[in-house]
Amino acid sequence: MLEASSSKPIYLQIADWLENEILEGTLSANDKVHSQYQLAEIFNVNPATAGKGIGLLLEKEIVYKRRGLGTFVSEEGHEKLLAERTEERLQKKINALLEEAKRLQIDYEELLQLIEKSHRQQGGEEN
Amino acid sequence: MTVITCQNVTKSYRSYNVLNDIQFDIKENTLTGIIGRNGVGKTTLMKMIAGYTEVDAGKLEVFSENPFNNLIVSSNTVFIDDTMTFPESMTIQDIFKECKRFFDRWDNQLATRLSTYSGLHPKTKPYILSKGKRSIFHAIIGIASRSPLTIFDEPTNGMDAVVRKDFYRALLKDYIAHPRTILLSSHHIEEIENLLEDVLLIHNQTILFHGSITDLQERFITLMGTEQKLGNYMDSDDVIALQKIDSYVTLTMKNRFTEQEFEVMRENGIHVSNVSANDAYVALTGKSKGGIDDVFN
Repeated sequence: MLEASSSKPIYLQIADWLENEILEGTLSANDKVHSQYQLAEIFNVNPATAGKGIGLLLEKEIVYKRRGLGTFVSEEGHEKLLAERTEERLQKKINALLEEAKRLQIDYEELLQLIEKSHRQQGGEEN
Repeated sequence: MTVITCQNVTKSYRSYNVLNDIQFDIKENTLTGIIGRNGVGKTTLMKMIAGYTEVDAGKLEVFSENPFNNLIVSSNTVFIDDTMTFPESMTIQDIFKECKRFFDRWDNQLATRLSTYSGLHPKTKPYILSKGKRSIFHAIIGIASRSPLTIFDEPTNGMDAVVRKDFYRALLKDYIAHPRTILLSSHHIEEIENLLEDVLLIHNQTILFHGSITDLQERFITLMGTEQKLGNYMDSDDVIALQKIDSYVTLTMKNRFTEQEFEVMRENGIHVSNVSANDAYVALTGKSKGGIDDVFN
């Protein structure tokens, strides 16, 4: 749910909440998304703010609009979200890993060896 | 459509200049917060819009009319504050009856239901009510009137925390069902920031900010870290608030950074956080660089 005290702007929190609904399968492809007015009532926020949350998903083409009917989850919405989140989170972890290696003065070759070792230990295929 | 147009408006009381050459437009069906420190002229501005007082200079139009002494404006506007007075002989239900005659869109059922919910008896005369209960009664008139222009001047004065929450919820629900132009003044911006679409921030006789609440929130950023790490930023003209405890610094500054720059800051151990509309307001209208802390130093 939303946290008023969270430093994240409320429309971003609403966008996140909608994305989670899609990721968790509560909303599937071509399902109707809550209107900005429903979201405003659910989260006790101005409808324009709720509209901005939906707008973010429209921009990313995770949802689409049908004139007079409302907003719906796009066919590729779920996949797009998966790709985006994976990329974002995995990339962050890789960056953190590189930072830590630098701090410990482990050079790139050594780091690659460590990764391969872990990969083998977890039963991964050898290259 | 624009409901309120304000161009180069100036207002003084004798030699005291309250508002100086201000301009802004209010779009139809927006819910705008009129925000400012005590005594900056929020009430004066709203009373001019409602047609209670005249502007000294400049052009003020409400529904394309000069609001002062104007029937079109007054029949389409309701102004709610804690100084509303009613004839002492009238009960709550008498007043509702008169409201029905005056306001085209008055919803008597809603007024009655809100009164019952709030424990106001229809046969009670408002002047015997406590301050808080009277505020509730005024707020009910404001909501049930459904006036195309609804102005609330500090409507929650005297209300307890539970009632304030109920009031904002009732206002939001009725606004969603029946959109209209609403002005809402408060110095408790943290209580109303999620309710608002726009903010009109008054400071030092002028409009310091007019725009969406999200723009206000995203305009500033708070950086926290050691003096050594934040040294480069501390002298910037963009800094609007600075707090230093030993060598640990908290900076609130204009947000001119890219996401990549934030990444670099985070990697360098600087804590980056967003600013609430309330923090932005406090930073903008408070003393720059040093505030209450300096009094103790």
